[in-house]
Amino acid sequence: MLPQSTLTIVAPIQPAEAAMVALRDVLAEIGRDPAANPLLPFGDLTGLHYGRFVILEGAVDPDTGRTVASSLAFNCCVDGPADQFLQDLTAKAGSGLWAVFQHCSRAPAPGEHGDLLAWLRRHRIPTQTFYVNSLGRTVPQIQKEAQLRERIEGFLDREGGTTTPSTSPATVRREIQHFVRGQNDLAWAMRPEPPLPWAWRLRDGLHRIGGLAVGLLVGLLALPFVPLFLVLLRRSEINAPHPRQDPRFRLSQFDRRHLAQDEDFFIQNQFSVLGFIKPGLFRYATLRAILVVADFVVHHFFREGDLGTVPLLNLHGVDTIHFANWIIVDQGRRVLFLSNYDFNLEDYMNDFINKVAWGLNLIFGHGVNYPRTDWMVFGGARDEQVYKAVLRKYQIRTQVWFCAYPDVSAITIQKNAQLRAGLFAELDPAAERDWLTLL
Amino acid sequence: MNLELFDIQGIVGRGYGKHPSAAYLLLEVESPALARRWLADQVERVHTCEQPPDPDAPCFNIAFTHAGLEALGLDAEALNTFPSELKEGMTEPERSRALGDEGGAADPESSPRHWDWGGTAAGQRPVHLMLMVFAPSEADLETTIAELSLLLRPGGLSLVRRLDTALLADQEGGVREHFGFRDAISQPGIAGLHRTTAGQPLVPAGEFILGYENAYGLLTECPRVHHSRDPDKLLPPAEFGTHDLGRNGTYLVVRQLGQRVRGFWQFLDAVSRDPDGAANPQRRVALAARMVGRWPSGAPLVESPTEDDPARAMANSFGFHDSDPQGLRCPLGAHIRRSNPRDSLDPAPGTAASLAVNATHRLLRRGRTYGPPLSTSFDPDEILQADEGEERGIHFICVNANITRQFEFVQRSWINNSQFDGLLDETDPLLGTRRLPLGRPTDTFSIPGCPVRQRISGLPTFVVVRGGAYFFLPSISAIRYLASLTS
Repeated sequence: MLPQSTLTIVAPIQPAEAAMVALRDVLAEIGRDPAANPLLPFGDLTGLHYGRFVILEGAVDPDTGRTVASSLAFNCCVDGPADQFLQDLTAKAGSGLWAVFQHCSRAPAPGEHGDLLAWLRRHRIPTQTFYVNSLGRTVPQIQKEAQLRERIEGFLDREGGTTTPSTSPATVRREIQHFVRGQNDLAWAMRPEPPLPWAWRLRDGLHRIGGLAVGLLVGLLALPFVPLFLVLLRRSEINAPHPRQDPRFRLSQFDRRHLAQDEDFFIQNQFSVLGFIKPGLFRYATLRAILVVADFVVHHFFREGDLGTVPLLNLHGVDTIHFANWIIVDQGRRVLFLSNYDFNLEDYMNDFINKVAWGLNLIFGHGVNYPRTDWMVFGGARDEQVYKAVLRKYQIRTQVWFCAYPDVSAITIQKNAQLRAGLFAELDPAAERDWLTLL
Repeated sequence: MNLELFDIQGIVGRGYGKHPSAAYLLLEVESPALARRWLADQVERVHTCEQPPDPDAPCFNIAFTHAGLEALGLDAEALNTFPSELKEGMTEPERSRALGDEGGAADPESSPRHWDWGGTAAGQRPVHLMLMVFAPSEADLETTIAELSLLLRPGGLSLVRRLDTALLADQEGGVREHFGFRDAISQPGIAGLHRTTAGQPLVPAGEFILGYENAYGLLTECPRVHHSRDPDKLLPPAEFGTHDLGRNGTYLVVRQLGQRVRGFWQFLDAVSRDPDGAANPQRRVALAARMVGRWPSGAPLVESPTEDDPARAMANSFGFHDSDPQGLRCPLGAHIRRSNPRDSLDPAPGTAASLAVNATHRLLRRGRTYGPPLSTSFDPDEILQADEGEERGIHFICVNANITRQFEFVQRSWINNSQFDGLLDETDPLLGTRRLPLGRPTDTFSIPGCPVRQRISGLPTFVVVRGGAYFFLPSISAIRYLASLTS
C-alpha cells in the first residue's frame, strides 16, 4: 500500500484564439486514446489512477465584472508523492507535455526537460480537499485483484459443475486456493498486501491527533463568534440571488449533448465542474475554512470507501466515488471540482440528493447560483431538478480523461480486495461462507 | 391534494383491461390547420380518469411527440420548455448509446437505424401523434378504426403505422407475456387515484402526473407557454407570467420490444440439460424463473423459491432485503429485482429510506403484447417445437413525469448496469445488452447459492428494440389549447 496524492497544474492559455484552437486539437488527439496515444500515453505511467486535462474557459466575474482569463488544468491522482510522479512524467513524456503546455502563456522552451519540470512545478497549485476512496490502495493492487477475481470466476465457471449443495464451503475454498497456487502469475495473491509504511502511519496518526486538538482549540476560540456568524450566514442566504427566482433557469434550458458525448462508455465516468464563489469575503473565508476541515475529515474518517456515512447521525454515505478534488483557482474567485465516479450522471446526482445533500450544501452552497440553502446544510441540493440544472450548467467538458481501471466500480474494487484478503487467511466456517458470497 | 381527474387522460389511471382489443395509431401531421380542427373535434372523445370506461364503447387517448407539437404550431419558446429528453428524442445518438440501443453495447438489430418506426433510417416518416384506441372486441376495434381512418385525411393527418396488440390470456385468466410469464402484477398505485395495492405503498401523484407533488415533495418542471400566447386562458396560470401546459399531463415512453421467444427457451434448454444430454424441463423452467424473479404463474421466488405456486400468482407485498439479502431465493440480477429493487438498495437496505429512493424510480406500465403466442399453453416444450414465424413482443408503454429520473434511470442504472447491486459482468437477463459500449462482455447471469454461486455464460440477446419514441400525454385542457393554436 502507498498513500495516494494529487497533482494539479493550472496555467493560463495564451490569449490568441489560434492558441486555443491548437490546444483543443492536441487535447482531442490525446483524448481519442488517452491510454496509448503517442503524445502522452497515460497508460504507460506507473501509479497513475486518473489523469485529465480540462480547459477552464474565461468568464466574467459576476462580482467585479472583470474577466477571468482562460486556463488549462491538468490533474493526476497518483500513488506515492506527487512530485516524484511529476519527475517521472516529465522524463517519460516531456515532449507530449510540451506539445500541450506550449499553448500556455510564457511556455517553457522545447527540448529542455529541466526547464519543463521547473515550469510545471511553478504552475502547480494545491488541492484544498482531496478525497480518496480507499487510502493506500494502489493501481497495481486494483488491477491485479480484478484479474484475480476474473481468474477465480473463470475457474468456478469451468469446475463449478462438480460442486453440489452438500459440498462444504471449506472444500470449495480449498479448491480455489489450490487453483491459485497452481498459477505462477498469481503467486502474489498468496501474501497479503503490505501495509502502509510505519513511518507514514505514525506521522498520519500524529496529524490526526494534532488536527483534532487544533480543531478543538479553534472551535473553542470561535465559539463567542458563532451568533455573529449565524447572522451573517442567514443574511447571505436570504439575500443571495438563487436560481428559483430566474424564469430561464430550468433543466430544459441546458443542452447536455456536448457533455453527454463524453459520458457512459465505461462503468466509470468523469465529472468536472467550475463555478464562481458567491461575492464577498464572508463566503470566501467560510468556504476556505470548510475545505480545510473537509480535507482533514475525509482523509481521517472517510478513508474506507464510504463518503459521508455517519451512523451516529443516521447519515448514509456514497460509495461510488473514487477520487475527488476541490481546487480553488483564479486567485480565489472560482472553484474547480473534479470527480471520478461510478455509473451515470443521473445516478451520481440522485445519490447526492438522496444521501449527502447536507455535505454538498456545505461546500457548493457558497457557489454562485446554487439552489438556496438554509443554515448551510438544509435545502440546497434537495431542490432536485433545480440542483440538477445548476450542476449541468456549471459542468464543463473534460477534454482528456484517463482511468487505469475504467470498468471496475468502487464497490467491485472493495469486493476484490476482500476476496484477495480472505483467500489464504484463517477463516472460521461462517467467515468462509461469507467469503464465498464475494464471488 | 385532490387530483383533477376530469382533466387527466384515462391511460394514467387504468390499463383498460375490460377493453381487450387495442391498437395504437402513429400519425403524421400533414396540414397543421386541419389537424388542429380534427383535434378540436376529437377532444370530447378522449377518455379521462373521471369516469370508469363504458365497457361497450371504445376509449381514446392521445399523445404527441416533440416534433408533433411543433408540427401543430406550438411556438418555439414553449417547445423549448419541454425536458431535453423529449426535445432530443429517444434516438439522439448519445442517448441511444446510454440506453443500450446503439453502439458497441447493442445488438445491431436494436439500432434505431433498423427500427420499423421512430428510427433514424433515411426516409422513415416522422411520428407526430399517437392515438391509442381501446375497444371491447376486435370487431368494435375494426369498426372504430375504419371510422377514424375516414377522418384522417380531412383531418390533415396520415397514418405512419398501426401498432396492433394482442392480449395473451392464460387458462387462469391472467395476462402473460410471450416468454410465458404472468405480467403486469406489480404496478405502482397513485396516491389520490388508486387504493393501496397489495401491501405496496402508494406513490405520490407527481411521479406520474405533472402539477402535483412528486416523491421529493416538489413539483416536477412543467412545459409552459407565455401568457400572451394563451389569451383565452385555456391553461392554468403558472409562475413568471406563464401558463401551465403540463399540469394534469405526463410523458409516455413507448418502445416496441420484439421477443425472441424460441431463442429464449432454446438457450435455457441447452444450459439446463442433464450431464447425459437429456432435457430437464424442471431445471429449465426453474432457471427461467430465476432470470425473471417470478414463476410462470407469477408466484415470486422470494416467497416460493423451489417450485411454482399458482396460489401466490399475484403476490406483491414482499421486500427483498429481509428474506433474501444475498439473492439465494431470487437472484440479485433477476429481472424483477433489477426493474424494481424495492427495499434492496442503498441507503440502508430493508428500511423506509431504501423504499423512499425506490419510489423515485417507478414506472407505471401500460403496454400490451403483440403478435400471436408461439404456443397458447405457453409450454416450453411446445414453444421449442414451434416455428418462430411471425414477429411478436410487447409494445412497452410507461407513464412517468420525469423520463430521465424514471424510465432512463431504470434502463441505464438498473437494467443495463453490469455492476448492479455488487454484481459483475451481467445485465438484465431478459432485456439487457450483452456488452459495454467499448467491448467488455456482460453476457453472464449468476445465481447465488450455497456453497457458491452458479454462473451461466453466453446469454444471447432475447429482446430487440423495433421502434420507439417519447411522447407528451397532455391534459384535456392542454389538448384544447393545442387545438386552438393559430399559425
